[in-house]
Amino acid sequence: MIRTTAVPRSVRAGAAAASVLGMVALAGCSATTADPTPTTAPGDTMATSSAATPATTSDAGSASSAGAYKNGTYTAEGSYSTPESVETISVTVTLADDVVTDVEVTGNPTKRESEQYQGQFIGGIQSEVVGKKIDEISVSRVAGSSLTSGGFNKAIEEIKSEAKA
Amino acid sequence: MAQSSRWEFEAIGTRWQVDTAAELSAAIRSEVTALIGAFDQAWSRFRDDAQIAPLAEVPGSIPAPMDASPMLDLYVELSEATSGAVNPLIGDALARRGYDAHYGLVDRGAQPAPARWRDLLTWRDGVLTVREPAAIDIGALGKGRLVDRVMDLLLARDEVVGPVTVDAGGDIAIRGTERIALEHPYDATRAIGVWQVTDGALCASATQRRAWPGADGGGLHHVLDARTGEPVRTIAATWAVARDAMTADAAATALFFDGGPRFAHSHAVAWVRMTTDGRLEWSPDSKAELFL
Repeated sequence: MIRTTAVPRSVRAGAAAASVLGMVALAGCSATTADPTPTTAPGDTMATSSAATPATTSDAGSASSAGAYKNGTYTAEGSYSTPESVETISVTVTLADDVVTDVEVTGNPTKRESEQYQGQFIGGIQSEVVGKKIDEISVSRVAGSSLTSGGFNKAIEEIKSEAKA
Repeated sequence: MAQSSRWEFEAIGTRWQVDTAAELSAAIRSEVTALIGAFDQAWSRFRDDAQIAPLAEVPGSIPAPMDASPMLDLYVELSEATSGAVNPLIGDALARRGYDAHYGLVDRGAQPAPARWRDLLTWRDGVLTVREPAAIDIGALGKGRLVDRVMDLLLARDEVVGPVTVDAGGDIAIRGTERIALEHPYDATRAIGVWQVTDGALCASATQRRAWPGADGGGLHHVLDARTGEPVRTIAATWAVARDAMTADAAATALFFDGGPRFAHSHAVAWVRMTTDGRLEWSPDSKAELFL
């Protein structure tokens, strides 16, 4: 089954922060540079205001034999614009063997309006949702992904068989 | 359900189910078929004979195809709410990733859609104009609009009485009540919740519904960020409930991007969405019963 690639994330601190987070995770996973400082990709809506600060934790700088990055925890400050103001956030990334194992985003809204801006449109968040078996619940129909068109499915089957050959 | 008759068919690349209390007459069925055919012939990016097809080759004007204004007006709001992530000129970007008229599914790389699409595309006084060749794609809300049109056609016929449901592959308009399972995006045997909807519309969108392999080995799917031409990676599935299916469909698309919750709020759309790492989010006004 073909699935989308999950970007590792651990904290979601509002819509704008999420895009920052994705960018940091991307930079952390890149193996094309030997620079151990997490870099921040240029974003169209977000201007990063500072460089990353490597490493205040104990395992920072410990040898990672073949990796492009030193293991450790890195923190960077970023900023983004809301309709009312420019807000700053702090992003902390933990690297182990060139893989981002943890990301934390701390927002610090400076205005009350912005606090509402970040949270007012989302009613709740719950992680690790497993759900229930559809045949064990009482419903009249299903809305999701199981109904796909014949033409599309046929093309996918052809790709699969070519990939095997 | 009170509906006792189901009419099933394939059209515009998806499975349709029309449920009514009494069996639909052959005359009404042919009216519905003609309506869907006319909409497809106006807007399909997959048809060489579509009304919009010449605009992809040569700049110019055509008589505005059916529903151009309500759909493109809502695209303006979608584009603004998502900071340009949703764009009706994304047809070329989709085709380059392999989602083309022949379902080639061969990836030729990412290409953004034209950011200044509102300068390139105009619709007024019954005329649709492009200033540069552009492949129009109304995929963010077109299916929802067509579901509304089919529902309106049925409700306008005296012989259609009682509850009616029009379901085009997860874009569902309801007169009456349905209890709808929200299918888990990674396990079709499971539901993450149930949403009971009365006299409204529920639209579902999931990235793995139409997915294929990318040139870089990663998975590609049909929800692209118009600013980059890259598929969205954060949201796996969305469900939106509104009064009409076009609004619900538009919100279900917007919810793949950061501006989605704000768009939904401004259009009184309740919603649930799941991120690719399995987290559920929902709107403050969501009435869905979630299996948390």
